[in-house]
Amino acid sequence: MGKRLMIVDDSCAIELQIRQLLEGTEFDVVGYCPDGETAIERYAKLKPDLVTMDIIMPGIDGLEAAQAILEEHPNARIVMISSLAYDGTIHEAEAIGAKGFLAKPFSEEDLIDTLRSALKD
Amino acid sequence: MDRAMSQKRLAQVFDEVAREVTERASGIRLLESGTKLAGELCTVYTSFQRGYRTGVSLCAERSLFTRLTQRMMQTEEVSPQEVEEFSREYFNALCGRIVSQMYPETKIPARFDRPSFHEGRYSPRGRQKHFSIRYTSDGAGNAELVHHLQDMEAADTLPE
Repeated sequence: MGKRLMIVDDSCAIELQIRQLLEGTEFDVVGYCPDGETAIERYAKLKPDLVTMDIIMPGIDGLEAAQAILEEHPNARIVMISSLAYDGTIHEAEAIGAKGFLAKPFSEEDLIDTLRSALKD
Repeated sequence: MDRAMSQKRLAQVFDEVAREVTERASGIRLLESGTKLAGELCTVYTSFQRGYRTGVSLCAERSLFTRLTQRMMQTEEVSPQEVEEFSREYFNALCGRIVSQMYPETKIPARFDRPSFHEGRYSPRGRQKHFSIRYTSDGAGNAELVHHLQDMEAADTLPE
């Protein structure tokens, strides 16, 4: 059975790119949210195995949204995907409990490796 | 940004990041060039926040943005809407990488606005060109990456 993935990113270019790169893999994209507020709401309904979360989005940012989801669902597995890949954001993502951090732009291999790694243990 | 790093070092970071991100995102290689842009142009632009009062734009021939989009989408059939969306996302990655590269030297955790897309050559109001780097690509078109500073007159009226 495939792993159910929810994408959170204000860019539909990233949504399309992730869907394309994951075609034929064990990951099934079951939901897309363009902002953090929608992600918090939809996570409870979809209960995906994994979430990819952008950081800079309109409204609350991805780190705040991830924190809100993890407070409500401590077993949620969230991978941050952002171009802001410096120590500050990476450490903040780790501190709130994100399972991985992927810098944009990413390759198919980077994406799949990061998602698989986030599902371990 | 301009006060934290020398213009030379800043231009070096911009250049390295532009080449790396463009090749990584699309496989297109940028080469520094003196060629002036021609034909139908488009511009993506953003301004930095949290510690910096500067902006960055990439003005390029539409053919280059179209090629970028085709490579990123892995299809030849792309709509003008998709060219706009993918160009903004490509530029988002480029600017994020610039901020990330500068962080170890400046320790400034900057953010930036969602990039805007403009038809033609876009010059942001209240800003002046600090430096620019011109590129050509593997037959896909030419581009100019520009670092913008706040106008001195405007800067005098704003807090640091």
